[in-house]
Amino acid sequence: MSLSQRQLALLLIAPGLALVAALFLYPLCFSLISAFTDPDGGFSLQAFAKAYELYSGDIFFTVVIVVTSCALTALVAVAIAGTLTLGENPWIVGTLRALYRWPLFIPFIVAAQCMRTFLAKNGLMNNTFVSLGLMEPLQAVSYLDWRGIIATFVWKQTPFVALLLAGALAALDRATLEAGRNLGASRLRVLIELALPQVLPTLLVALVLSFVTMLSVLSVPMMVAGSQPTMLTVDMAFRINAYGDYATANALGVITYLISAGAAILYLRHGMTKETAS
Amino acid sequence: MQAETQTMSCAGAAIQVRDLRVAYGGTPVLHGVSLDFAPGTFTALLGSSGCGKTTLLRSLCGFVPVTSGAILVGNRDVAPLPPEKRGMAMVFQSYALWPHMTVLQNMGYGLRLRGKPKAEIVAKVAALLAMLGLTGYEERKVTALSGGQRQRVALGRALAIDPGILLLDEPLSNLDAKIRMTMRHEIRAIQQRLGVTAIHVTHDREEAMTMADRLVIMQAGRVAQVGSPEEVYDRPASAFVANFMGAENVLPLHVERTGAGTAITAGGAVVHLTNRDAPAHPTGEAVAYFRDDVASLDAPDADPRGDLLVPGLIVARSYPGGLYRYRVEAAGRQITVDDATRHEPGVAVSLRIPTERLHIFPAAEAALAA
Repeated sequence: MSLSQRQLALLLIAPGLALVAALFLYPLCFSLISAFTDPDGGFSLQAFAKAYELYSGDIFFTVVIVVTSCALTALVAVAIAGTLTLGENPWIVGTLRALYRWPLFIPFIVAAQCMRTFLAKNGLMNNTFVSLGLMEPLQAVSYLDWRGIIATFVWKQTPFVALLLAGALAALDRATLEAGRNLGASRLRVLIELALPQVLPTLLVALVLSFVTMLSVLSVPMMVAGSQPTMLTVDMAFRINAYGDYATANALGVITYLISAGAAILYLRHGMTKETAS
Repeated sequence: MQAETQTMSCAGAAIQVRDLRVAYGGTPVLHGVSLDFAPGTFTALLGSSGCGKTTLLRSLCGFVPVTSGAILVGNRDVAPLPPEKRGMAMVFQSYALWPHMTVLQNMGYGLRLRGKPKAEIVAKVAALLAMLGLTGYEERKVTALSGGQRQRVALGRALAIDPGILLLDEPLSNLDAKIRMTMRHEIRAIQQRLGVTAIHVTHDREEAMTMADRLVIMQAGRVAQVGSPEEVYDRPASAFVANFMGAENVLPLHVERTGAGTAITAGGAVVHLTNRDAPAHPTGEAVAYFRDDVASLDAPDADPRGDLLVPGLIVARSYPGGLYRYRVEAAGRQITVDDATRHEPGVAVSLRIPTERLHIFPAAEAALAA
């Protein structure tokens, strides 16, 4: 009876398992093997050597872009979630609460297109500055480079981080925040010294998820900043579409895995030190 | 320990609340409360749920915006100030300790905000911990402490800044009965030693009576009575206060002035009082409130000897320990009486009630209180 139940259970999860195996595990293993294989079929690090030689600058560029975007996202999200939790002006809090989630529902490709029209040399932002008399038309510069990518990532990921953070802050015992103000702390100090340390795990999870998302976006670097240097996703697409060079593309993929693994390890290590400390 | 506490001085500050009004989203919660808190006194705000006692405390420390009125601390109106500028320290029901900090960091936080040097903070916290019986707990995580220890740390955190005013928001409600008893005495002793002005919110009558010099009974956003525990217990100013302070038996009466004094009629029984015994009872239809231990049971034909002797019938009997507790039907009401002798349910008895221990109010006022 129990054996047949076990078989039934296996049968029930088989379609899901097959789907994961066919659409995720197989391509993953294939690309991993392909990254470490030379054209003759033997083991080699040739693809990695080539990837490093051609794209070491882009690897660095990608890491800098993603880390900077995460830092700025954290800063803006903390400001938004902090205002939502500790704000005293009901008009500001209400407006912010109604508006801040909108970018969540906009796909990256649309966000990138919006930023193109906003940040271009003759884009909405510069035109507004010129018409306000804040800037001469000749001074206008295009922000469609690394700054554009960071702006898009921060704009797109901030609502996600702020959403998780505001939820965690709302779940705190409000008396712990009131106790701080009662003893003489300003709202900013309450946020930084009393509220944030209590929700740090949530902030870290949100940032690690954002980090991995930003690493995997192709549309934004492709549309917002076309020229060199660019991000690894664009390089991978280029190796495959222009040269059919799967080996190098896969090597770049493995490097991307390693970068996201780095973020995951940082997060896990923090979680472990916290556990041993408590 | 004495020497250590001498280094701490929290000279109590006076608070004057003038016509304080508070509303939540248009619904008035406090309807013009005026109260004086003398320096170094321990006042308990007592009332049933929703009477506005916690709202009053939270408006004092600035967590609830005030619609109108003034809160004067040392002749300065603090009502428009944010909570961090009021110099009042609060102890919360949930302890509200910061879980990411140690005991030392929790208790020293207020001093750190005031820019005190680290050595001074460490010394001050050590002295407070000694006073609270927690010597050597500096480096403990607050999450590793028991409820009673946490509440001691919360009290120490509030006292560390030498506040003139200590606000206690039901600080003992989350503790078990035994620790609550100990903490009552400890908080009271510390308050007296430091001379701080304390305002304590509670719905526990006994807690308020044992801890405070003065009780403020609140009813529906207004002050119903202010007085010492004895005054409020023995001479309640209204039917509500009498009922709230435990006089839960209600007996309808008729009071009449006669030539020689006052005649009180209840359920067929009459008692005549001289003007000296019944100084200012309201006349006409009235209601008397009295506690379970005031009345006793007697034979139906007993001699009144100046007491009110109301005929009744025993409906139920229970034994809570020491005395029997009876439900007696008399004058159309069910009345609870404690008596040492055992009687059977269904027996006709008379309730002997000493008139001087009745709290008598006009019937109209009693209807309002109910």
